[in-house]
Amino acid sequence: MTARQKSVLAESRDVGRAVELIELGARLQVLESETKLSRERLLRLYKEVQGKSPPKGMLPFSTDWFMTWQPNVHSSLFIAIYRFLDKTTELEQIDAIIRAYRLYREQAKANGLPEVLTLTRAWRLVRFFDAGMLTTAPCTCCGGHFVVHTHELVDDYVCGLCDMPSRAGKTRAAEQRERLAA
Amino acid sequence: MNAEAMLAEIREANLTYLMLAQALIRKDRAEALYRLGLSEEVADVIGALSSAQILKIAASNMLMCRFRFDDEAIWNLLTSHGRDKEVSGVHAAILMSSQLAGGQGLATGLAS
Repeated sequence: MTARQKSVLAESRDVGRAVELIELGARLQVLESETKLSRERLLRLYKEVQGKSPPKGMLPFSTDWFMTWQPNVHSSLFIAIYRFLDKTTELEQIDAIIRAYRLYREQAKANGLPEVLTLTRAWRLVRFFDAGMLTTAPCTCCGGHFVVHTHELVDDYVCGLCDMPSRAGKTRAAEQRERLAA
Repeated sequence: MNAEAMLAEIREANLTYLMLAQALIRKDRAEALYRLGLSEEVADVIGALSSAQILKIAASNMLMCRFRFDDEAIWNLLTSHGRDKEVSGVHAAILMSSQLAGGQGLATGLAS
């Protein structure tokens, strides 16, 4: 009896977590990996919460995206928040990711930046760190910690914010926004 | 500002700060630690204070909160009126969060 009660509790926690993740825009693969709910239930939940079917297709699998200028800035902010939560609290990993993602979104919004990092990307980023494929390096100029490939030479690393490339952040979307504002 | 008014202002600031800190800690402890920059021990103490205790602590001639960052780079970014307001804002956020995390560039994973 107790075992059964326990599983009901665990399931309700999983449902709550899944709803939270879906609301934050997580892809189905994230839900499948972080909850013990069946694929069918997750699909039903997804439709109920988002009002549409989840997008199909594979998750982005490359670490290179995190190295390009704008994503690198956003990922570095997210991972710093995540690390803090991971270090100072006893949260389970997925709950730390959810909270860190919320705080990251808040920061981006407060600074007038678009949400470049999706929850799925953020989740992926933590996985890459766990797998030892990505890590952070301190910038020799500002001292902030930025996402880099693990085996990169980082002795004299300078971050993309101290040494900004001339077209940094000038994505097509940003240019469009500027044109609209002008 | 005379001494009387100054003490009243300090009491006011203490009260506002302690009440906000307690509300944040009780709502979501993990998030509150990030927002407030407190240690877990202090957060637990503040979270457990009664209203009477908060009033008593607030009525001091010392401020109970202080600046969290003494890094010149952060202050320069926060006060800069440069062309890229967004960029210096997010740069400051990264520096502040990195400092909180005490993040050394560990070669291995984060968890475990």
